[in-house]
Amino acid sequence: MAEIMKIRNISKNFGGIAAVKDLSFDIYEGETLGFIGPNGAGKSTVVNLLSGYLDTDAGSIEMNGMDITKMKPYQRAHLGLSRTYQIPRPFPELTALTSVATSAICGKKRYNQSFEDSLVEATHYLEFVGLFSKRSILARDLTFYELRMLELARALATTPRLLFIDEVMAGLNPGEAKDAIRMIERAKNDFGITIFWIEHVMAVLMEAADRIVAINHGEKLAEGTPEEVVNNEAVIEAYLGRGWKTYA
Amino acid sequence: MVSYEIKRDRITIRTKNKKWEWVIEPRYWRNSLIWVGLLFIFPAVAYFVSPGLINTMISANLLAAIALPMSLMTLGTGRVNFGPNFFVGIGGYVAALLSIHLGMGPLFTLPFAVAVSLFAALIYSPLVIVARGLYYVLISLLLPGVFFEITVIYTNIFKGDTGLFGIKPLVDTGNAKINFILIAYLSLVIMVAFLWGINKTVKSRYGLIMAAINDDEEVAHGIGVNINKVKVITFIAASGMIGLIGWFYAHYFSSFAGQTYLTFTFMLKIFLAMMIGGRATMFGSVVGAYFVTFLEMLMIRYIGAIQPVLFPVILLILLFALPEGIFGLYRKRRYREYFPTIHVRR
Repeated sequence: MAEIMKIRNISKNFGGIAAVKDLSFDIYEGETLGFIGPNGAGKSTVVNLLSGYLDTDAGSIEMNGMDITKMKPYQRAHLGLSRTYQIPRPFPELTALTSVATSAICGKKRYNQSFEDSLVEATHYLEFVGLFSKRSILARDLTFYELRMLELARALATTPRLLFIDEVMAGLNPGEAKDAIRMIERAKNDFGITIFWIEHVMAVLMEAADRIVAINHGEKLAEGTPEEVVNNEAVIEAYLGRGWKTYA
Repeated sequence: MVSYEIKRDRITIRTKNKKWEWVIEPRYWRNSLIWVGLLFIFPAVAYFVSPGLINTMISANLLAAIALPMSLMTLGTGRVNFGPNFFVGIGGYVAALLSIHLGMGPLFTLPFAVAVSLFAALIYSPLVIVARGLYYVLISLLLPGVFFEITVIYTNIFKGDTGLFGIKPLVDTGNAKINFILIAYLSLVIMVAFLWGINKTVKSRYGLIMAAINDDEEVAHGIGVNINKVKVITFIAASGMIGLIGWFYAHYFSSFAGQTYLTFTFMLKIFLAMMIGGRATMFGSVVGAYFVTFLEMLMIRYIGAIQPVLFPVILLILLFALPEGIFGLYRKRRYREYFPTIHVRR
């Protein structure tokens, strides 16, 4: 498998605190890569660095062989990189359809696409996530689960090649969570995208991820298949603390 | 060969091979052509009824023509500019100085007034990217004040206290009444042109992009909007439009004083026009501008010139009671009509 994204030795400091230290890993085309770590491990910082919201202090990020380290978020979006947010951030004053249509207009460049074309395309994505009947409802009036789905539709409408999913399970009940996982699986297969999945709930990634990267204090702890990572001493120690065996 | 037919609910006009039909039903009254048509009839009627009303109408048109780009600016930059009158000042002073010192007529000063406004906006525009929230409000609020101070300090150039006089008039036919009515129509044409252009922009894909920036800049950036480009272009275009109204003021009154346009009172009038109609709604701005101008006229006539005190009070009440203005009420009920929705038959 070819790498879709190469991350080499990226670092980020906030004042004296090193949020990310010398982190390197690859994301391969077509895989679902899980990204785990305890609270404050630097997961969201890494996502912000990769999607361009924060600038790296050192290191390089390559996408499809192109150096995107200094690129702005919108340029990365045009290259086929999209993300969802930990806490849903809809456009509150736009209807579900127009929010998704905005993505279809602004995402990856599509030539000769009219405004109406983008609306039709947005309908397709809304139908995919099951929000077609809510297309004319303002985003601020949607429920939490629907907002998550709207975020997914909005991210998909930019026609990404690589999709960052930031803690999609947060705030969902078990039934909704199951639906959400199925939806992401379907999106991956139907649209042929690569998924980089940041998650707290290990059980979810055990089922869905092909590989997992674990970090703590901004440094990589482990990388490998879900089973390998879960049984890794350093990962368990990061989650449960030192000397966990004495209590086990 | 033209036949008319008036039925209970519709008027039909037929020519040899064409047919126009107008259904008389309230839901079709939203057609903006009807209202614009009424506005065009207004000066002609006022000419015979009460010529003083034409003056009020010109003021209302000009106020609307400032409030409209202002709404566009608010929508496209995602920030509220508290000093749109800065650009009125720039456009007006450029036109006034060129006309007085070089003897240029209104047609020749126009491109300079707009160009200098655009240039000033270009220099000002990095603020739209860098400054946010309270800082942007403070800076934009201070700029007209600073400009006014400059006109007072360099009073030999700008005549800050008394204002510049002797600017060439906008229209000079020799007949004062005809001049007046021509100016009324010119102001109306400018206002309607702004309304048409801005409404068209807002209803297009660019309007949608602006709405996204207005709602959440970061997310808009993430889905592929070059937010800085959109913000700067909107800001500069809207500023140029406001500068054009400054040019109009200077030639219309044949005088221009910072005291009138660069002060807080004038800014408040623009704001009230925007707020009454509804923030960032285009037709609302026109309704608001007419409301404010006629309210001011009635106040001066019956209560005295206390509008500097009353306007802030009205604005405060509106902010609490009707935060989205008159059009906000309408929008709450029928937001679906704001952007096109498509209906797929299954």
